[in-house]
Amino acid sequence: MRWLGLALVVVAAATLMLGVADLPPHGAHDAPVHTHVGARYLERGVAETGMRNLVTAVLLVYRGFDTFLEVVVIFSALVAVVALPRGRAARSRDGDDQPPAALLTREGPAQERISVSPVVAFVVQLLGPFIAVFALASLYRGHVSPGGGFQSAAIFGALFIALALVQGRERAARLVPRGARVWLQALGPLSFALIGGVGWVLTGAFLGYPAEAAAYALREAMVVAVEIGIAVGGAVILAQLFMAMEG
Amino acid sequence: MSQLFDALLLLLLIATAITVVRATDLVAAVVKFGLYSLMMCVLWQHRGAPDVAIAEAAVGAGVTSVLFLLTVARTTRVEKP
Repeated sequence: MRWLGLALVVVAAATLMLGVADLPPHGAHDAPVHTHVGARYLERGVAETGMRNLVTAVLLVYRGFDTFLEVVVIFSALVAVVALPRGRAARSRDGDDQPPAALLTREGPAQERISVSPVVAFVVQLLGPFIAVFALASLYRGHVSPGGGFQSAAIFGALFIALALVQGRERAARLVPRGARVWLQALGPLSFALIGGVGWVLTGAFLGYPAEAAAYALREAMVVAVEIGIAVGGAVILAQLFMAMEG
Repeated sequence: MSQLFDALLLLLLIATAITVVRATDLVAAVVKFGLYSLMMCVLWQHRGAPDVAIAEAAVGAGVTSVLFLLTVARTTRVEKP
């Protein structure tokens, strides 16, 4: 069995290596990926969208529909996790096989609560505001410099989890108002649909953006609105995932 | 120099991946996996993909590590052979 597994790994790896060897060299200007639609994005992307960060331009403007569905996928992941049955019946029932002491600050019947090192707690609380500012900057400037809604969501979510670990989940949970949670966690798909609808009214195509150079401010506002939706929605989804798994 | 840096980082990535798989203490495996993510983040940045690097640092090294640890806390810490 062991040798069969090894043989499978070797065959799969050899196949992959052969495939990789066939790829054009890294950065070759005549590679297929650079000669079709990518070349147009690089050539005219900044002029057409007004965004200097072409990654955001491709994500939200040229490939907006893909990103819309991607946001829906992330939201569905949260739905799946929340829908899972929870409970402690599965563990610490069979006596002799006790789980190890709690790894993190969570209370359980047979487990001790382990307190967080004061150094860690201090550093997290000290860095918290700076991390939040970084996340905000990466959100607001996502269309002109590296960053954007997804990055901002990831940073905010990580910050929330760090705060929940050192301060306890009750205090951290207050950052996300309970009543608004239902709407906030769906903000990504909602804002995308809303802005897509606005684009429909303005240009006649779902997720269309007004193309005139004079409409730059409007276009920028639409993109930032979608980015805010992705960032807030994504961050709340990460926070909810954490709380669903921890609780 | 740049190529050498990438090659070194990739070799380290492979070595880290092997130690992750071989670790029987799952908490150690999670910590090593966080290290893997951080190196991956440096590699993304070095290859000119800062957008991906930011997300890798926050999600790969931050969020997923915590989610893995929570899973370990709910199950068992030591992998049985």
